[in-house]
Amino acid sequence: MEEHYQHLYEALSQVDGYIYPNEIDLHWGLMIVLYPYITGLVAGAFILASLERVFNIKALKPTYGIALLTALSFLFVATLPLVSHLQHPLRSYEIFMTPNPTSAMAIFGFVYLWYLMVVLLLEIWFDYRLDFVIWSKTSTGFKKLFYKVITLGINDTDEKSAKLDDKLGYFITVLGIPSAFLLHGYVGFIFGSIKANPWWSTVLMPVIFLFSAMVSGIALVMVIYMVVSWARKVKIDMLCLDTIAKYLFYILIIDFTLESLDQIHRLYEAEESFDIIKVLVGGKLNITLIYMQVLFGTIIPLSVIGFFQIYKPTEKIRKISYFFVGILVLIGIFFMRWNVVIGGQLFSKSLSGFTTFNAVYSGLEGYLMMAVWLILPLLILTFLLWLMPPWKKVSSHE
Amino acid sequence: MPKIIFRLFLSFVVFVSIFILIQRYLTPNSFGEYGHYRASAIDDNMLSVPFYKGEEECASCHQEVYDLKSADIHSGIRCESCHMPKIAASKDCKINPPKVEGSLNFCGQCHAINAGRLKKGVPTLNFKDHKGDQNCIECHNAHAPWELKE
Amino acid sequence: MGTERIVNKRRKFFQTSAALLGGTLLYSIIKPFEAIAQTEEEPTIDDKNLPLWGMGVDIESCIGCGKCAEACKIENKVPEEPFYFRTWVEQYTVKNDGEVKIESPNGGIGGLKQSVPDEDIFKSFMVPKLCNHCTKAPCVQACPVGATFISPDGVVLVDETYCIGCSYCIQACPYGARFMNPVTKVADKCTFCYHRITKGLEPACVEVCPTNARVFGDLRDKKGDLVKFLQDNPTQVLKPHLNTHSRVFYNGLSSEVK
Ligand code: SF4
Ligand code: SF4
Repeated sequence: MEEHYQHLYEALSQVDGYIYPNEIDLHWGLMIVLYPYITGLVAGAFILASLERVFNIKALKPTYGIALLTALSFLFVATLPLVSHLQHPLRSYEIFMTPNPTSAMAIFGFVYLWYLMVVLLLEIWFDYRLDFVIWSKTSTGFKKLFYKVITLGINDTDEKSAKLDDKLGYFITVLGIPSAFLLHGYVGFIFGSIKANPWWSTVLMPVIFLFSAMVSGIALVMVIYMVVSWARKVKIDMLCLDTIAKYLFYILIIDFTLESLDQIHRLYEAEESFDIIKVLVGGKLNITLIYMQVLFGTIIPLSVIGFFQIYKPTEKIRKISYFFVGILVLIGIFFMRWNVVIGGQLFSKSLSGFTTFNAVYSGLEGYLMMAVWLILPLLILTFLLWLMPPWKKVSSHE
Repeated sequence: MPKIIFRLFLSFVVFVSIFILIQRYLTPNSFGEYGHYRASAIDDNMLSVPFYKGEEECASCHQEVYDLKSADIHSGIRCESCHMPKIAASKDCKINPPKVEGSLNFCGQCHAINAGRLKKGVPTLNFKDHKGDQNCIECHNAHAPWELKE
Repeated sequence: MGTERIVNKRRKFFQTSAALLGGTLLYSIIKPFEAIAQTEEEPTIDDKNLPLWGMGVDIESCIGCGKCAEACKIENKVPEEPFYFRTWVEQYTVKNDGEVKIESPNGGIGGLKQSVPDEDIFKSFMVPKLCNHCTKAPCVQACPVGATFISPDGVVLVDETYCIGCSYCIQACPYGARFMNPVTKVADKCTFCYHRITKGLEPACVEVCPTNARVFGDLRDKKGDLVKFLQDNPTQVLKPHLNTHSRVFYNGLSSEVK
């Protein structure tokens, strides 16, 4: 606690203008930056998978399984930073016991459960059931046991059951698209519905969150696909990569347009809060917003992929550029979340001053913990890829 | 109905039922009685013991001082405005007396010059010009400010 | 014959357990509706027989001595560090060049001190702040678990044993009236000294204010001090455009006040 006070005294000495005395303590830190980031990756990865399945974009086929497993492994982790930031984590179950119907946060638990249990797990299960049955006969040890259990005792391998799996899987995917939209639009609503905070309170927030989620998810799957192919020492399907990049390009444009629209709207209406927001963007958020988010996260990737749409250099150059573009986009979207969550708390609700955000390295809210939450899903993904490699699948949907 | 759908549906129903059961047992008793909250939380909020006891408590021992104060310009100010209670029970005043030093700082909280203080007229003054660093209570009796000491 | 008996037994077992499970389930589903079934009157904020607490603040009377902020910390065991306030006092100084300086060092505890030289001052005044006990409280709306609520007599309270400490309410409060208590680790805020007012006492801040700048009372008590205060003075609430319908009314509120 002493350390915490120390921290706050330091922040107090850095206050600029006037802030309400209770605002010196920033209540939402890195963990809440991570939470929309990770949920966004889930929603984005899932939507990429659905592109292939529902909208029948065959070129994306090599990434379908990877995208689903990526979504799943990140979804497992999505709530952990949220829970770990609670002051009373052990009471978190109350969100399920007595959810307040008027609270944007309360329903998240249910949206999450719905998405995890009904959409993702089911879709993956339908996709893999037949393989589980087949694999359970050929493998040994833990894997065998796992495959046996996970089939829930439905061992049919005939044509008809495969068809049914396929049909049901398709149905779930169709159901999944609005669910993914819901999941992440919802996260945007958690911020967008706070009328006390003019930086958050905009109707566009859910939509912006949604599109930035797609951007980040697609970029993530693109990078993971390249890494996995490289690790498996197989050739990367260039058509697939180009197609992903193309979608990344389109959605990035939409995302960028929406965000600019939001800012232009603020600029033009110039409401009461505008003066402080202007200072915020020009000062405290300058690096993370203008450079990290807009320049590195949006403009550079846009120009690179945009350029490739007109002129196609050799595969090697494309591959390397896609890789770096993917990483840049991922960083950019991370800072987009940062700018929303941290940026929204840097200025006072009295609209007359700023506080500062000093993140720590250790502790439950520090950078180290953040690294853990970002690496953990990758470990889960590695495990899942080992357990149920999409490239070893026998069955496959139409 | 195909077996697969039936089984999944069944697991779904089981899952939801278990959920409802858990919810039933983990929801606190008085929850929802008045609204979406624990009704007994209202009682919890009433529990703590007031620190500030009010003038009657003070007057029960210090009637004289109380009368003196009530007759003078500080009559509107309650005892505990200056004598912040230091302990929960006023009976323990003697153990830990809420003493006040009539220092410049203390009296200055109300009487130092401040541009925002002029409206309804609390007398303010520049202590330095008045009597230098001398403490107010060396001349003034805080309970009856115009009864000057020698 | 033997197997049949076992099957029978088993069937019986399943039947009883299914009945048990179903019964409990049914009961759980019905339970929330019990309240509707019993027609007993539940107290709500609209109940005309209960008081509806509110406060009036007279900006012209406030001298910025900070006694209220100090008393509040003592009365409610708020940590002493200058980051946690249930109530605090701000000084606004409008300079001749139009710039507005707002300050509240340590929430005004120890008395506010003039920091702008006289010749630059256009006007200056003090504004005590506290939770506005909004009738349409954004904090109550936002709390995911129902750990903060409006009591039937109109006070916004926190349930300390139920709050999960998510800070969402703190983000939702437009007035900065809430903080995360570092000791109890739950959201904390002004309760109008609920433990005092329910015993017939006044809130500690009202009790100690030397100029009676704070008027506490029942908005439904037509002969009470608060109603009189509202009748005699043109009053305004903070940030009225946010439609929080707050129940702390200010007399002499200037447009500079944020
Ligand atoms: S002032 Fe803030 S804490 Fe108080 S009721 Fe309104 S929103 Fe809630
Ligand atoms: S911090 Fe506590 S009172 Fe505030 S929203 Fe979260 S659970 Fe509710």
